Amino acid sequence: MERTLMDRRTFVQVTASGAAAAALASQLGCLKHFEKGKGGTEARELVVPTTCEVCPNKCSVLAVVDDGVIHKLNPNPESPRSRGMLCARGNAAVKQVYDPDRLKQPLIRAGARGEGKWRPVSWEEAWDYTAKKLSEIKSKYGPQGTVWSSTEGFQEVFFKNCGLAFGSPNIVRHPTLCLASVNLAYSATFGTVPAFDLVNADYVIMSGANRFEAIIIPDTMDLIGSVMLKKAKLVYLDPRFTVTASKADTWFPIRPGTDMAFILGMLNVIVGQGIYDKDFVAGYTTGFDKLQEHVQKYTPDWAEKETGIPAKEIIRVAHEFAAAAPRACYYSGRRSSWYQNDFQMRRAQAILNAVVGNWDREGGMVPNASIPMGEYLFMPWDDPTASRVDEIDKTFPLAAKGDGAYLKLRENVLSGQPYPVKGWMVYKQDPMNALPEQAKTLKMIDQMDFVAVIDFQMSDTAWYADVILPESHYLERTDPMEMMPGIWPAIVYRQQVVKPVYNTKPNLEIIQGLAKRLQISDYFDYTIDDWVKAQAKDIPVQNAFDYLQKHGVVVTPGFPKYGKTLKGDYRFITKSGKVELSSDRLQESGYDPLPVYKPPTEPQAGQFRMILGRRAYYTHANNTNNPWLHEFDPQNHLWVNPEPAQRMGIRTGDLLEVSSRAGTVRIKAHVTDEIRPDCVFMLHGFGKHSRWQKLAYDNGACDAQVLETSWDQVSGNAAFHETFVTIRKV
Amino acid sequence: MADKGKKKRYALVLDSKKCMNCKACVVACKAENGVPVGKFRNWIDEEKRGSYPRLLMTFDPGQCMQCENPSCVRVCPTGASWQRPDGIVLINYSECIGCRYCMIACPYDARYFREDLGVVDKCTFCVQRVDRGQLPACVETCPSKVRVFGDLDDPNGELQDLLSTRRYLVKKPETGNGPQLYYLL
Repeated sequence: MERTLMDRRTFVQVTASGAAAAALASQLGCLKHFEKGKGGTEARELVVPTTCEVCPNKCSVLAVVDDGVIHKLNPNPESPRSRGMLCARGNAAVKQVYDPDRLKQPLIRAGARGEGKWRPVSWEEAWDYTAKKLSEIKSKYGPQGTVWSSTEGFQEVFFKNCGLAFGSPNIVRHPTLCLASVNLAYSATFGTVPAFDLVNADYVIMSGANRFEAIIIPDTMDLIGSVMLKKAKLVYLDPRFTVTASKADTWFPIRPGTDMAFILGMLNVIVGQGIYDKDFVAGYTTGFDKLQEHVQKYTPDWAEKETGIPAKEIIRVAHEFAAAAPRACYYSGRRSSWYQNDFQMRRAQAILNAVVGNWDREGGMVPNASIPMGEYLFMPWDDPTASRVDEIDKTFPLAAKGDGAYLKLRENVLSGQPYPVKGWMVYKQDPMNALPEQAKTLKMIDQMDFVAVIDFQMSDTAWYADVILPESHYLERTDPMEMMPGIWPAIVYRQQVVKPVYNTKPNLEIIQGLAKRLQISDYFDYTIDDWVKAQAKDIPVQNAFDYLQKHGVVVTPGFPKYGKTLKGDYRFITKSGKVELSSDRLQESGYDPLPVYKPPTEPQAGQFRMILGRRAYYTHANNTNNPWLHEFDPQNHLWVNPEPAQRMGIRTGDLLEVSSRAGTVRIKAHVTDEIRPDCVFMLHGFGKHSRWQKLAYDNGACDAQVLETSWDQVSGNAAFHETFVTIRKV
Repeated sequence: MADKGKKKRYALVLDSKKCMNCKACVVACKAENGVPVGKFRNWIDEEKRGSYPRLLMTFDPGQCMQCENPSCVRVCPTGASWQRPDGIVLINYSECIGCRYCMIACPYDARYFREDLGVVDKCTFCVQRVDRGQLPACVETCPSKVRVFGDLDDPNGELQDLLSTRRYLVKKPETGNGPQLYYLL
């Protein structure tokens, strides 16, 4: 590449438009320090420990405040979870606070939905209007005529409680767009969802969990350390050559949708050759005889035909895995589900982990530990009387009922069955991007009498809303404390670092204003201080509240701890009280008691499977508009393997039309060897509708417009890899 | 980084194999040092080789090498580019006339021009942090701890430990600049 000598480090020509004047002044201030002979040793700042909210990891942060302006966020080394790091996104959070395009005051829609015409209003008017609309819907359709959807966060509880106190059973949270299938599969096997002790593991297998680009703490840091110091071996399966693939000892570009065949092939070897942990299987599990019989037909030769991975490699990995056990994990992954059999694929992983006896052992899977914490006792309300609109009891009898089944909910709302839903409250979530088949989400918005969004930035969903209630940024508010269970449990606290820059409010205050007008304020009759002080009460450190204000995180001694559950009389929280290799409960609910392999649907000639993935510097669709992150990937592209690209005359940079049954988008091609010839991939979070996200608006393409609606049969989790697309040069 | 008086030589040892190209170092630097969007004091280069399915991808973090014998300092007509006794090469912005000779002289492409201020800028090892006993922002924030910062002259320091037990290289040694970023192999 030709670069000019004069300014060789200028890769992207973007003008510095983002920073608010105050922030810019503070940044320029640091240049003063470099005058000859002068050291920058004056104490200029205040350091406030808090907890990051740019993704769900909750890393501990030390915010450096200079004259009332946040100068820098540093990692807090006291956290055993974030292990003294702060990622690109965490560092870029400063930019969000001073983003001139963020939501600055309550807004009421002034034009048609999505037209982008807004009327700035007072909080009183926004609350009055929202309450009036919700009350109208309630009197016409009952409280169940509203759906309250949110993604996880420390203040989500207030939003959810408001929905419930209002009388709606239709609370729908993130898990069925996220990890519901993993949670359900491990719960069905072990009665709980364990963590993986990657820092001590000697052998790790990962199916598509791209841990070196999709950061999960402490797993990412623990694994990169072990793998790069050659302490641990990593076997990685992914149709894409990701950063994780590049660091793995072995990368298998597996035929998509066949991970279960790989696992069953391994089980065939390990069970068939008797190289499993016989003591653990005999002492703690049930159904091994059925498993033995079940996996007989899943030979490595059979698995080779399904997965494209040579039988001798499957045998090698099985032997190495069994030999390394208990310091060996088939990592559960933590990402959205892929196929309609996702639950059963995760079950197969759980069973494989169980038979090699890595349960509750150093370097294996460990049940989560916790630290005691108090609870604020608020006035309880009567449970909503109506049944859920997603009919989760009937459709997904084993699923976590309180979280709902998002895609089924959307289908039922669109059909108006079993009853009409006409109001949609959204907190901190962007269903327009988070759900597949955006055309349906738009239809769902269209058929609503009222949509309100609580967020700190103008998401695509906010763009189509009737009312926007702007939440203060995480650096501007104090939140409830959170106990983070795990191998290294910790309690973290998010406290206000700076006063809100604009006319925004913390979610609790937004909810309280609304609750007052909905005549349910008795249930929210407390302050955030009351809440956190009640939580601090039972934390086993002296003056816990002061301690958390000073440190931001509480850790107690005695962790990690292994083997608590490895006692003869320990009862697992399953029906049999044992680890369930074969599950009667699944059978009774009409599911396969052992994972039965079903081959994935094949793409037809000319079709490609669309797969999803992450970059380390973007969280979901959330920060493609952050100038400090956007410059790394200024636009998304469609990854196409050179083989089909050549066949179709496609070159990098060509504009393509990508079509599925769900929709069509236009996007430029990126011809790369880093993907299988039968798959295509595009980065999430681009092609936005919201003009208040200048950098991501109409830039690249939105994957949600192309992805089709499909879900895992058992958990109801969205299945994101079931879409076939055709591509055409335009 | 304590006891003043004693001579120090700051340097950085990098274990690039651990780099995930997550860009935490780049954004941390941007925030700490007010680097404009589109400009970089540090960066991560990618190298990709092979064809599907035999592929290789490696990452190579780069920034100012804080050279022992910096050519940027030699060519500066005003003395704005200068070197501290501890080796850190700095730019005195009030003396910089924006002639950019230093940018041409740097063998590592480590300097950039700030149009908004009319001066040249580059990595300073976060001297404002180091002088207060803190680590440079890129070193501290890195999730996989690619970088180790310290005093090369400390016989018991981590740097000596790494450099005497691991193989390493420096970039473009033939320039005679004496770069002080040591890349472990």
